[in-house]
Amino acid sequence: MEQAILVENLVKKYGTKEAVKGISFEVKDGEIYSLLGVNGAGKTTTIKMLCGLAKPTKGKAIVYGHDVEKETNEVKKIVNVSPQETSVAPKLTVKENLEFMAGIYGADKATQKKKAKEMIEMFGMEEVKNQKAKTLSGGWQRKLSIAMALITEPKLLFLDEPTLGLDVLARRDMWEAIRKMKGKLTIILTTHYMEEAESLSDGVAVMVDGTIRAKGTVDELIRQNNAKNLEEAFVKIAQAATLQA
Amino acid sequence: MRGIVFAKRTAKEILRDPLSYIFCLGFPVVMLFIMTLLNNSLPKQAAMSIFEPKNLVPGIAYFGLSFVMIFISIQLASDRTTSLLMRMHASPMEAKDYILGYTLPALLISVLQVCVTFAIGFSLAAASGKTLTVESVLIGAVKLIPSMLIFISLGLIIGSVFNEKAAPGLCSIIVTICGMLGGVWMPVDTLGGPLLKVSRCLPFYHGVYAARHAGFDTSLMISIGFAVVFYVLSVVIIGVKWKKDVA
Repeated sequence: MEQAILVENLVKKYGTKEAVKGISFEVKDGEIYSLLGVNGAGKTTTIKMLCGLAKPTKGKAIVYGHDVEKETNEVKKIVNVSPQETSVAPKLTVKENLEFMAGIYGADKATQKKKAKEMIEMFGMEEVKNQKAKTLSGGWQRKLSIAMALITEPKLLFLDEPTLGLDVLARRDMWEAIRKMKGKLTIILTTHYMEEAESLSDGVAVMVDGTIRAKGTVDELIRQNNAKNLEEAFVKIAQAATLQA
Repeated sequence: MRGIVFAKRTAKEILRDPLSYIFCLGFPVVMLFIMTLLNNSLPKQAAMSIFEPKNLVPGIAYFGLSFVMIFISIQLASDRTTSLLMRMHASPMEAKDYILGYTLPALLISVLQVCVTFAIGFSLAAASGKTLTVESVLIGAVKLIPSMLIFISLGLIIGSVFNEKAAPGLCSIIVTICGMLGGVWMPVDTLGGPLLKVSRCLPFYHGVYAARHAGFDTSLMISIGFAVVFYVLSVVIIGVKWKKDVA
């Protein structure tokens, strides 16, 4: 299986503060890989480095054979990101937001319309397609945000807290949408919800204070920590790291 | 191409805000009516030539441009606070696409605003029995182009540096300075002294003067100079500040 991401000793410093402290991991093509960690663990900074938004201070990050530091433009063409906060144009309709995003990635007018139609069908957004984004509920906005990322047909998609703030039903709905994408593209998922990671991920890395404290499949992490589920395993890993510090 | 796509988005975002119409089109028109009425009510002895149509119309057209600055700064500042910016930075968009994406709609709104202001000003002057020649209207409108760029640049700079709450406040200060020291509402030339000296150091006085007078004058040259400096500055600031915002 083709390698999607290779990260080796990646470091990011902001002034004297080290946000990411030499992490290493790899992700295979088509996998859903979860980065877990409490707030400030360095997950978003890692994502920013991998999609070319932040320059690594040290280390190496390769995305589908392209160095994120030296070949940033190549990386940007094949990745997309759905950030954790609202990331839609508020006064544009759902359809316009989708066409806008396709246009930014170079699609002509006809293709923009065709792709927007496909996304509206895929995410069941027919009933809200002419509604302005700012009037949508949190769940619809998240769906739109992910659809805006997918419309560019990325090989690698970063989903930063895709279900944060959603109610149980909307969250389950979102999981189903993510499951549908499985195998079609590589997904890096960051989440606070352990059951989400447990349900969706092929691989998991637990980040604490800028470092990766554990990585493997969900089953491996549960087994290694004598836990009943991923949440318990995560708590044990995070607590051990805090005690060490 | 990407810049055009982004510009269309910016234009839609601004034009779908009713306040844009109230301030960018409604306000200059209302001011024209009020000031024309005021001018018609003034006794000849008052000799307030700044309210004569030949001075009033270009002055208000200039003043109206300062509201475009407010809207572009708010749009930019609010874009920076949403994660839409992160999404855009993760895309193949380049600095020139962002600049075009904000400048183009602002320029179109400015041109529209100037055309509406001059058209209504021309009609009002005719209705009050005053003369405002087609030639002076056209020359005044063309000579406002550097000033459009100055206000757009100021909007870009303020929106890049300050947040959504601070940007309109700061812009309001500039609007007030523009109205007073630019000579839109106050005859700074007649007042003279240090006030005139300060006015001459700012782009507003020269922008208003250029719009009010025909010909290729020094004020127009100074306006072009300010426009170039401010626009280059805005490009540099956007480049530096935005990278910091997402990193």
